[in-house]
Amino acid sequence: MEIFGQLFINSLQISAAYILFSLGLTLIFGVMKVVNFAHGEFFGLVLLLIAILVPWLNSPSVPLVVAYGASGAVSILATMACGWFLYHFAFKKFQRDMVGSFVLSVGLSLLIQGLFLEFFGGVPIKLPDLIEGNLRILGGAITTQRLVLTLIALLVAVTMCWLIAATKLGKSLRAVSEDHEAAMLQGIPYRKTALYGFLIATFLAAIAGALLAPVTVISANVGSDFLIKGFIAIVIGGLGSIPGSIIGSILIAVIESVGGYYFDPSLATLAMFVITMLVLLVRPKGIMGNG
Amino acid sequence: MGNARGSTTLYVALLSLLVLGGSLFAGTGFAASLVIWVAINILLAASFRFVQLIGELNFAIAGFVGVGAYVAGVCTTKLGLPFVVALVSAALAATLLSLIVGYITLRTKGPYFMLISFAFTEVLRMVYTQIDYIGSNSGMLGVFPPVLLTDYYPTFVVAVVLLSLIVLYKIEQSDFGKVLVAIRNNDAIVQTVGINVHLTKVSCLAISSFIAGICGALLAHANNVISPDDFSFLLAVYTLAYIKVGGESHIAGPILGASVLTLLAQVAMGFGPFEHIFYGAAIVIAVLLMPDGLVGIIRKFLGLPPKPQAAAKH
Repeated sequence: MEIFGQLFINSLQISAAYILFSLGLTLIFGVMKVVNFAHGEFFGLVLLLIAILVPWLNSPSVPLVVAYGASGAVSILATMACGWFLYHFAFKKFQRDMVGSFVLSVGLSLLIQGLFLEFFGGVPIKLPDLIEGNLRILGGAITTQRLVLTLIALLVAVTMCWLIAATKLGKSLRAVSEDHEAAMLQGIPYRKTALYGFLIATFLAAIAGALLAPVTVISANVGSDFLIKGFIAIVIGGLGSIPGSIIGSILIAVIESVGGYYFDPSLATLAMFVITMLVLLVRPKGIMGNG
Repeated sequence: MGNARGSTTLYVALLSLLVLGGSLFAGTGFAASLVIWVAINILLAASFRFVQLIGELNFAIAGFVGVGAYVAGVCTTKLGLPFVVALVSAALAATLLSLIVGYITLRTKGPYFMLISFAFTEVLRMVYTQIDYIGSNSGMLGVFPPVLLTDYYPTFVVAVVLLSLIVLYKIEQSDFGKVLVAIRNNDAIVQTVGINVHLTKVSCLAISSFIAGICGALLAHANNVISPDDFSFLLAVYTLAYIKVGGESHIAGPILGASVLTLLAQVAMGFGPFEHIFYGAAIVIAVLLMPDGLVGIIRKFLGLPPKPQAAAKH
């Protein structure tokens, strides 16, 4: 029983981060029909900025929590500015051109990763813990810090789902991803909605990065690992589908924690791939995909 | 028309002979390595472009190159088989695997296929690191070409690449090639005239992977050392850069793009480890500023009308 509790807690932690990450990916795909390979770079940028800002801000007079909060906020804003810039000078011209935009984002991802390596160096950084202490829930152990961060991540994910399900902006985002021409006929401003969708996705990647900063080993290519998992999650769930991305993320997280516990992490990744193939064999457009 | 085509064939044949003869003088030093890299990259790009004929981006190519390289490496170093056997088994192994993977994944298309092929490459790379027989993380050492070929390895590689390019071009010009392009433009119409679209796509991937397997075997014997990280998705991304810079509307595109970028990359490497930035910037600049790459620029220069882009419509 204790093992199940532990595995449940592990899956919960991992899935919280994946959900934030893949929600952004699926949102961009739904609204702009862009498979954004550079999504991991937003995530990486936040982590690297925080890794620089926190040691710089933290001093005897500035408590760690304040340092984390301030640098998190600054980094998220900087990343969103970066997202706005990329939208206007690159992705705007390639919306609804799946191949073109994908190639572009692959190039951008490579370029940005090269720049990261150049500016931040190749040495991995581990920031100090934000909160000390351990907790036991359902027989499984978890550090207090991870629990708090996971809860915040889940809160953000739930808020985002509410925003997409209930608000006017959310409705227009969903309308555009179902059929952008029909949405425009209803008077929904397509370009504005696409920009908002892109910025929300950037924000989600950024906040995932900020929340993982105290618990992750930060390096220049930290985004790639998440990117692959995020892609597998949204392919399983169905590209563009919000519930699909959540189901996919949870599935991936469960495979990763259970497979990683009973076998080893690389076998878990292999299992993910095999399961993805099986899902695609039965449903070529993913579990929640349509059309 | 027939005359024009005849003279083009003559030019191509002359040029090929010239390149082949030139490669005899490459020797065994850095120039030889450069000749081999350029030749293999050209073939890789041509193989990648072949799947673009059906409108798909095949990132699994890096995986198939890896399979080819490892199979060839095992054949020559572990089993002591002749080089030619290694080359053929590498190509066949990659083809066989691509038939299985293609049969499943080519039911999907567009972004689903791109992402799944990308995941395939990364998963294969991880599989190599888990197998001790092929050296897991540190890879395989001592994959040398046969003694008989040592001095002429660049020429051999160039000859294989030229032959493969001609075969790919002939297939593209044939009726089968026209079906491939028709599938890219509208697969539903191809289906209505009774052509099995799924099987055609699988065969297209298989042909491309056959070539990728050859590339892998040639690469393994050129570098003498192979490790899992040589066959990450970066290999496919670099290949994509060759095509984007060269242009994808004509088979000359991959040739131009791979030659120019491989040589320029050597210059860039002289300034430091800027490989990522170099290739990333090449793709971004090509996509944003050069539709249809160098081939498009040449077309404009010659006053020819631009060819329709090989972009998939979904």
